[in-house]
Amino acid sequence: MSEIKSTRIAFVEALTELMEKDERVYMVSADSVAVFRAQGLMKKYPDRIIEAGIAEGSAVMIAAGLASAGLKPFVCAYAGFLTMRACEQMRTFVGYPGLDVKFFGANAGMCSGEREGVTHQFFEDLGIMRAIPGYTVLAPADADDTGNMVRRAYETKGPVYCRIGSGRDPVVGTDEILRAYGEDVLILGCGAPLYDACLAADSLKDKDMGATVVNCNVIKPLNCEKLIPMIEKAKKVIVVEDHNIYGGLGSAICEIAARPVIRLGLKDIYPESGTANELKHKYEIDAPAIIAAAMR
Amino acid sequence: MDMRELSRMGDKIRRDVVEMIYRSGDGHPAPSLSAADVIACLYFGVMNVDPQNPLWEDRDRFVLSKGHACPALYAALGLKGFYSRDVYPTLRCLNSILQGHPDMKKTPGVDLTSGSLGNGLAGATGMAIAAKRLNKSYKTYVMTGDGELGEGLNWEAAQTAAKYKLDNLTLIVDNNTMQSGGGIEEVGGITNIPGKFAAFGWKVLEVDGHNVPEIMAALTCERDGRPVCIVAHTVKGKGISYMEHNNAWHKGTPNDEQYEIAVRELEARIHE
Repeated sequence: MSEIKSTRIAFVEALTELMEKDERVYMVSADSVAVFRAQGLMKKYPDRIIEAGIAEGSAVMIAAGLASAGLKPFVCAYAGFLTMRACEQMRTFVGYPGLDVKFFGANAGMCSGEREGVTHQFFEDLGIMRAIPGYTVLAPADADDTGNMVRRAYETKGPVYCRIGSGRDPVVGTDEILRAYGEDVLILGCGAPLYDACLAADSLKDKDMGATVVNCNVIKPLNCEKLIPMIEKAKKVIVVEDHNIYGGLGSAICEIAARPVIRLGLKDIYPESGTANELKHKYEIDAPAIIAAAMR
Repeated sequence: MDMRELSRMGDKIRRDVVEMIYRSGDGHPAPSLSAADVIACLYFGVMNVDPQNPLWEDRDRFVLSKGHACPALYAALGLKGFYSRDVYPTLRCLNSILQGHPDMKKTPGVDLTSGSLGNGLAGATGMAIAAKRLNKSYKTYVMTGDGELGEGLNWEAAQTAAKYKLDNLTLIVDNNTMQSGGGIEEVGGITNIPGKFAAFGWKVLEVDGHNVPEIMAALTCERDGRPVCIVAHTVKGKGISYMEHNNAWHKGTPNDEQYEIAVRELEARIHE
């Protein structure tokens, strides 16, 4: 069993630190205070959490207005309700003028939505946000990595989108290179599937296949300088992500890799309700699926 | 500026709108003309802005949610001295500071990017919240069309603005009764705009949107803790005989003869 640590709590802890040191930092909520476990923050800074209610489009616009007056709003909502319902507001009113607004989308990926089903499983967010000019797109590996990404978002000038998970997120580690067993197979991933990627690498090592696992927590801009030589050297390249195979990290890697890449993710289909473990097994983004891809 | 001068400024804005669209060959004249008097009252009657320092943090803000009417805003900013009126012919042209819809990064004096309908009120709500939180006295004004009230996001923002008691926020609805495809009742089913904002907890006033004393009285009305919605009854195409009440001029460019007529009519009013 994996150790669990909440990306949502990690987000709020890091945001609290930022709000303590910079009075320009605000949170904009679309009824997200409970979802993001930010009740304590609400008590501490009631005037610096702007509650728009269940109204993501308006929340994004309000954040644009706050940013235009020099504040640094962090907009919190479910990943899909941000990047799909409020996509236009994120693009036209924050991205286009380059306003300093940070977006954190919870429940990103099929496994975060779990038993809620497709309405609450958001596996298109990275593709959507990658297509919008001016955004930095982040996908932390786990809770501690989420803290790092909150600080990175704060330090990044202009709009940032960061996906986070369900609150029941496996501990993966924050290193860029999570496993370095060799160049037989290079496994690139983001988010919770990196946990499975590490399990797969450990198992492949026992089969005398050396795998390297890379935490690609910055989806855009990709660290091409570092990734391209690794991709060129590896005998086989696998990308694993809790996202549609179109548009996400796998697509981004294919854009820079002049070679075949095996993409593990949702195969352009809608999943279903189920536990995270059941889903990742059925839809083949778990350790056995990664091992099978490596052995193919 | 006295009431007569303000009224004249509305017509100067109209003249510049015609100039801009005729010279550049593209734009939305009629929705700009209906908004001209309110925009004149804002920039030359009530708003505290500094053309030499467009990003002055204590300036009053204006968001033109019906961004396609930007020729009227660009004319007001040009007449106010934010930039030379020589740029008018570049409207909607490559490398111009005057984009097809307002762009806060390209045009000095534009406070928020706008033009995709239904979004300005929520953006202005954020600006007004920021003023409250930062203890600033600046006021935020936003103009929507009436047809764009079909966009649900307006009502999300109307709710939030009332919740936060944004008495520093003023919405003016340019109620010219027409949207791109026809009448607002017929196309969008939009009725009883004052009643709707009142139900959302706003202070609501109705004015003749071409009557400067009425507009000024509404813009300077006493505040009671609620955001204010001014429903301005206007005429689409106001001020140019062949454009008034004629939705064919929602978008279009006057030909040489039409341009001459428009300038003649507007100049006569300016010099009345």
